[in-house]
Amino acid sequence: MTQIFTVSELNLRIADRLEGDVRLHDLWARGEVSNYLHHRSGHRYFTLKDQNSQISCVLFRNNGLSLDFEMADGKNVLVFGDITVYKPQGRVQLVARGIKQDEGLGFRYLQLEKLKKKLAAEGLFASERKRALPRYPERIGIVTSPQGAALRDVLRTLGAYPAKIIISPAQVQGEGAEESIASALFALRGRADVIILCRGGGSVEDLWCFNSEAVARAIFACDAPVISAVGHETDVTIADWVADVRAATPTAAAKLAVPDVEEIREYLSTAQTRIMRSLWNALERKEERLEYIKHAISAKRMLVLVEEARQRLDYLSEGLGASGARRIDCLKNRLELARGRLEAVGPDATLLRGYAIARTDHGLVLDARDVKPGEIIELILGKGRLQCSVIECITKEGSEKEAKP
Amino acid sequence: MKKNEMGLEEALDSLEQIVEALEEGKMSLEESLDLYEKGMNLVKLCESRLKSAEKRIESLTGELPADIS
Repeated sequence: MTQIFTVSELNLRIADRLEGDVRLHDLWARGEVSNYLHHRSGHRYFTLKDQNSQISCVLFRNNGLSLDFEMADGKNVLVFGDITVYKPQGRVQLVARGIKQDEGLGFRYLQLEKLKKKLAAEGLFASERKRALPRYPERIGIVTSPQGAALRDVLRTLGAYPAKIIISPAQVQGEGAEESIASALFALRGRADVIILCRGGGSVEDLWCFNSEAVARAIFACDAPVISAVGHETDVTIADWVADVRAATPTAAAKLAVPDVEEIREYLSTAQTRIMRSLWNALERKEERLEYIKHAISAKRMLVLVEEARQRLDYLSEGLGASGARRIDCLKNRLELARGRLEAVGPDATLLRGYAIARTDHGLVLDARDVKPGEIIELILGKGRLQCSVIECITKEGSEKEAKP
Repeated sequence: MKKNEMGLEEALDSLEQIVEALEEGKMSLEESLDLYEKGMNLVKLCESRLKSAEKRIESLTGELPADIS
């Protein structure tokens, strides 16, 4: 279905659409003033433009009263206002409610580009000079405002990691911020293993000090690697270019600065297991070696030893030879001879022939007078002994009988 | 940090070396035992280091706000 508008209806519709969009109200627009006209009515008309585009603007008399600078073509301004449609001409325009002079930001960007080129030429951004972050820093320097949320984010993220934290306070925006940051960085010389330079989000103007040459050179001169975290992820400053590592946010910077304590704990427990297992393996290897040696000794080495011993024995016995055998025979003969003589000298043979030896506790009985009737004597026979009581002692002189009880 | 006190980094580095040397297993049993003991001591040292994570925050200039430190 095709609807046919009158021109007025069409512009009304466009106006309704644009003026009803909240995103086109209370907005700031940056650009350069051209076609500036200060009308007799007191209203000011101009075109706001940048390299590629332009838009009509109007500042009505009442809103122009608070203007604190002279408007002129070529001025860079920040315009605060709303988008409306000027229906008589079907023109979209920005109705300004306030205009601020843009503090030469355009110029500052030019300066910034120049500075970037200069510092790049000097090698401040060179990737070869970026230092590696220490794995386990013991001293962490933080350059930031003690009042800022960034510091709290960083401290919270560093958490339980056991390091000394040295805060080097700095003013991170406004007049004197550059010098403050530079000297805070310098103050950490020799005191930190890694440095976090951070501040939370802010306007381009707020962050501008991080684009200064003084800060860039101070970062470059740091004796410890610097992690920068300025503003939000989309804000990239010269400080970020010079820093050894750029983090998107202060929290991210803190995460980069220290290892995960839990990871270390895990490593320690694995290390412990590995050490124990290695030792165990070493012991097992030694044991295996021992087994091997034992085996080698028993099965092979010992055989060799025994073989050697046997050969030596054979050699020796051969050496002994006939003379040895003769000596042994001779010894045997002598032994037999000695035994015979011993037997002849001793009483055994005599006793076996029927003789006996009589003796008492005092000694051998050779004379009947040595004993008295009733006395106990012992007779040693060829085989065995007898305990005997003397009944009568008979001598040449007569006999003595045991007295009758 | 006192001079004789070994830092976490140094301790972890030594520990890594010891673990590797032990795993390579090219030393005598006596050396292995020695390294084992050293390694275990380093593990203990690192663990105690991690436990002693008292906040040691200082400021180079001026007082810190009350919510820090």
